[in-house]
Amino acid sequence: MNEQLQRALDRISRVRGVRGSMWVAAEDGIPVAQLLMEGVRGKAVAALAASLARKVSGAAAATGAGRVRFVQMEAAGGTLLVAPAAQDLLIVALAESRVNVGLARLEMIRAAEAALA
Amino acid sequence: MPDDIRALTAALARDPKTLVYADLADALRRRGQRQEALQVALQGLTRHPMHADGHDCLARIYADLGDLERARLAWSKALEIAPDHMGSLRGVAFLLFRQGDLAAAESALQKVLARAPSDEGARRALAVVRAGRGAAGAAAGPPPPVAEPSPTAQRPPVFFGFDGATADILLLDQRGLVLAGGLTDAEGKDASELAAAALAGVSGEAARTAEYLGLGSWSAIVTEAETANLVVAPVGDGALLLVRRDRSTAVGLALRFAERARGIALAWLKGQGA
Repeated sequence: MNEQLQRALDRISRVRGVRGSMWVAAEDGIPVAQLLMEGVRGKAVAALAASLARKVSGAAAATGAGRVRFVQMEAAGGTLLVAPAAQDLLIVALAESRVNVGLARLEMIRAAEAALA
Repeated sequence: MPDDIRALTAALARDPKTLVYADLADALRRRGQRQEALQVALQGLTRHPMHADGHDCLARIYADLGDLERARLAWSKALEIAPDHMGSLRGVAFLLFRQGDLAAAESALQKVLARAPSDEGARRALAVVRAGRGAAGAAAGPPPPVAEPSPTAQRPPVFFGFDGATADILLLDQRGLVLAGGLTDAEGKDASELAAAALAGVSGEAARTAEYLGLGSWSAIVTEAETANLVVAPVGDGALLLVRRDRSTAVGLALRFAERARGIALAWLKGQGA
């Protein structure tokens, strides 16, 4: 299982502009596996991404949109991407603004679906 | 190329004299390909200068491009050809509203309802316009045939003319209080307040996340969910916009739509002194 998670992170981190990717426990925001560039604070990214995902899931439910499949937060200095996966895990990526979001999204959703298998 | 556009393009290529050009232009417009839509509509109208649907379509493209004067001329032409053309009557009402002439917009919508009493869209729009005019406007004409205006109809008609203006676009403040627009649930009931309360938490969390991670100010959160795509964006100082689009709408288009709605919301908030 651990090897599978690491392989997924490897693929995501190969997307140009991705500064780091990680598997995070959705409930408590603790990193399970990570592949980060130097300077990226893994614990902070994990905790904040999990918290944001919870809030967004609540809002999606309140708006009748249903279960969340992918979240992208755009900011002036970068992008945070979150995809819920099986076993109460999230797959999270922190990227620069110039990242190809479409490609990163594909890799993350593929990883999330593989985690279901 | 999406299937509908491919099929319409093929139909037009098979028979360039067909009126299907208006459908193709409208499909392109809906996909945000406005320049292509404009080209198709103008070419079609050179063959069919008396085609009211074509002029109506051309007007919508101009309206989307922000050229309201050309839109007005095109709708006027359509109504000259077919005085009862419903799309053009609605379009004229939309233009009058955009220009701030609420009395004339109300009159135009009354004309639509006189011809099509079951037009629910026009009825809702009339309620929104009347709410915008306030009590004086409501007293000026006959009461609308709506027994109890919905909460969305009582809010400022900020997004009038946008698809889903009172059902899929919501503007709220940082405390989670609704400012304008509205959100309905699957049964069509107003769910704005519940959604606004939940969204206020998202805004705070996004700001905290962006700050802690050194990302600067956040500009949008795009959420792909089971039945809809949501775009949440900050507007001005503390307000928040939510746009909900069907899952079939591409995320990029949803973002563009939200950006347009954000511009309108920002202008409105500035007008309110906010």
